[in-house]
Amino acid sequence: MNHFSIKKITKQTEFYVFLIIVALSLLIQFRSGQFFTNNNIVDLMRSMVVPSMYAICAFLAFVSTGPDVSFPLIAALSSYATIVISLNIGYKGPVIWLYVLAGVFGLLMGAFNGFILVKYKFPALIVTLGTSAIFSGVLFGVLKARRMELPSTMLEFGKSSILTVKNADSGLGSQLPSTILILVGLYIVTYLVLNYTIVGRGVYAIGGDEVSAERAGFNVKMIRFGVFCANGVVASIAGMTYSSMTQFALPNEFSGAEMTVIAAIILGGTRITGGVGTLKGTLLGTFLIVMVANSLILLGIPVYWQRVFTGLIIIVGTAISVRKSSGSVKKSLKAEVTSK
Amino acid sequence: MNYNILSVKNIKKSFGGVNALKGVDLQIKKGEIHCLAGENGCGKSTLIKVISGFYTHDDGDIEIDGQNYPTITPSEAIKAGIQVIYQDFSIFPNLTVLENLALNQVISQKKKLVNKKEFRDIAEKAVRKINFEVDLDARVETLKVADKQLIAISRALLDDAKLVIMDEPTTALTKKEINNLFKIIENLKKNGVTILFVSHKLDEVFEISDSITILKNGENVISCPVSEMNEKKFAYYMTGREFAETNVSANTQMSDVIMEVSHLSASGFEDVSFKLRAGEILGISGQLGSGRTELALSLFGMLKPTSGEVKVDGKTVQINSVKKAQKLGIALVPEDRLTEGLFMPQSIKRNITVTRLNDFSNKLGFLKDQQIDSESLKWIKEIHITTENDELPASTLSGGNQQKVVVSRWLSNSPRIMILNGPTVGVDIGAKYDIHALLRNLAISGMAIIIVSNDASEVISTCNRVLVMHAGRIISELSGSDLSEKSLIEAFI
Repeated sequence: MNHFSIKKITKQTEFYVFLIIVALSLLIQFRSGQFFTNNNIVDLMRSMVVPSMYAICAFLAFVSTGPDVSFPLIAALSSYATIVISLNIGYKGPVIWLYVLAGVFGLLMGAFNGFILVKYKFPALIVTLGTSAIFSGVLFGVLKARRMELPSTMLEFGKSSILTVKNADSGLGSQLPSTILILVGLYIVTYLVLNYTIVGRGVYAIGGDEVSAERAGFNVKMIRFGVFCANGVVASIAGMTYSSMTQFALPNEFSGAEMTVIAAIILGGTRITGGVGTLKGTLLGTFLIVMVANSLILLGIPVYWQRVFTGLIIIVGTAISVRKSSGSVKKSLKAEVTSK
Repeated sequence: MNYNILSVKNIKKSFGGVNALKGVDLQIKKGEIHCLAGENGCGKSTLIKVISGFYTHDDGDIEIDGQNYPTITPSEAIKAGIQVIYQDFSIFPNLTVLENLALNQVISQKKKLVNKKEFRDIAEKAVRKINFEVDLDARVETLKVADKQLIAISRALLDDAKLVIMDEPTTALTKKEINNLFKIIENLKKNGVTILFVSHKLDEVFEISDSITILKNGENVISCPVSEMNEKKFAYYMTGREFAETNVSANTQMSDVIMEVSHLSASGFEDVSFKLRAGEILGISGQLGSGRTELALSLFGMLKPTSGEVKVDGKTVQINSVKKAQKLGIALVPEDRLTEGLFMPQSIKRNITVTRLNDFSNKLGFLKDQQIDSESLKWIKEIHITTENDELPASTLSGGNQQKVVVSRWLSNSPRIMILNGPTVGVDIGAKYDIHALLRNLAISGMAIIIVSNDASEVISTCNRVLVMHAGRIISELSGSDLSEKSLIEAFI
């Protein structure tokens, strides 16, 4: 059986997002000559790092359960707490242990989400809205978070790069941050787990049909709990990375990311109703949103119009994705009539 | 092959205060095809869940292949060779056929990693058992219902099933697919597999089963070989009611032509012409895609015709909206009551009275509750809708009663022409007879009725004549002595 038939590829949402990206990039290149420059590409990749990490959280949640809107606050709280602790004890060691500490905090918060979701089976959106508010309360009320300096190890890590490019024509330079390696690592691990382990298939299975998953022998509760724990850890990594790259702890800058990230993954073919979605689609969707936010300026489009443009892409893109999945919902309702 | 592969005695099961099973027996001989029948709520689903270990019974004995099981868990049932294929097939629509076939087995072997080759081997083995040709890499949601069912069956056979239990397997299948399924069941029988299938469809029971057990209200009514059963007895045992012999030709008091359709065409059908008289029950039959639904929709103002004309009472009319259709006295009971007919979370009362809210409100637009209440109760009584309380949501009703609600809603409008699309799909036998009797009475009182249906027995027992459609055109008309199950099936081919 030929898995790579043209027909099959064109049926996927991811293909259309790819086309839009290509078209848009060609347009921008045509109008400004600046898109396919080395510094622009590197800039784009730099801008992709944190949103793509968030996208993993949003993706795993949607595929298995439903919307998770708490990941930005988990990122904020876990990184802020870690930063404060490291400053207080005068930490001078390698940054990896700070990531681990943040990861522990993230895991606890994710486990909190997971526990409520599994025990009470409330809708994911409602639960994570609530926990998001709780985490926010802890961050700003208890910890009284504000803009803070970072420990030197994070500063250095945030500035470190694996590649530096300089655009010969414009003289503009750009650095590809080392943090992108973390991103690549996360995606590789997620890909392997989702596609090559039974537990990973279980994530899709419970999103597809929870009852069938139970009957098949999947431990639905553990898988769901595990997904949200993993989300917590990934979110904390994103939070630490964001702080390092911006060179400050900026607790107020985190919230609001969830909406654009969720729109990005839906654009990339993840179904709102769950069970369907790919990592490559997630990356493509995120890339499109980041590209629009970053590169429209090269077309000379002022910032406020960029937001309109982003909004339009989100509406159109998600509408297409939703229409595709609602077709199958109506079909399954029809089958229900005949079986009553 | 004369011993019992399954023998359950005196099974009792209750939930809270409700006695679902009051001491039920079931004996299934090895290698036979056994049918378990009963109306909705009789306990057949509960019994199956007890046998498969999903529920623990409160009392009674379960013996599988000679071995006694005081209690049984789902995995013990599977080990004992029992496989259940539920109505929803228990499949993952978002995963591939390959994964759907292989996952259960791989999980039961406690494997942790996905070995794609292993999956493929298991999947190929499964489909070979019933000669099922399918694209293993297709996502299951893209397949038709019949194929999904075959996936469920192939998967069930992987575990060397001795007894395969199928819960209402034919509800979503076309006639051709049902025949295919029956062939597979016969083959399974030849290979020594015993089949228990749950059904309330008369023709299936007689066509394929060897024995039958009928349950009612959680108790046994009768168990016997199929040869000792006939249609009348079946209906009686299922419902406890005697049904009068149907005699459609008794109503020959048809009067004037009330609707005349001439060369009508729209998206889905073309050049359709027929006359409809008051007092007549006209049947329109055809396979999926024959245009029968589209025809019904365009006569109700939901599908704009591209050419041709419709005359009501001798005057040419343009039925271009549902409102216009209603004004002309036309009503349509739609094909899909779940998505097109009922407001499920709303009360039964509201569902019945919704089309006449204008009549039931005062000048300021406020609803007159008393009138609504009495209208609702009137129809519940007249059409025997079984419910204790009309404030309950429509979703609490059985399929048959839901259909009755939709019918009464349109009758409340006093239509002169009533079109019903698939009026008894998914409706149990008691409600089916009720609806048919109602339609016959309406016709006698002068209403013109069009029944769009593929159910041969329904069409034969209710209609004066039948128009057969194929690929958007009317290809034949059958009536009187020409009208029989055989001639209908032949007309479809």
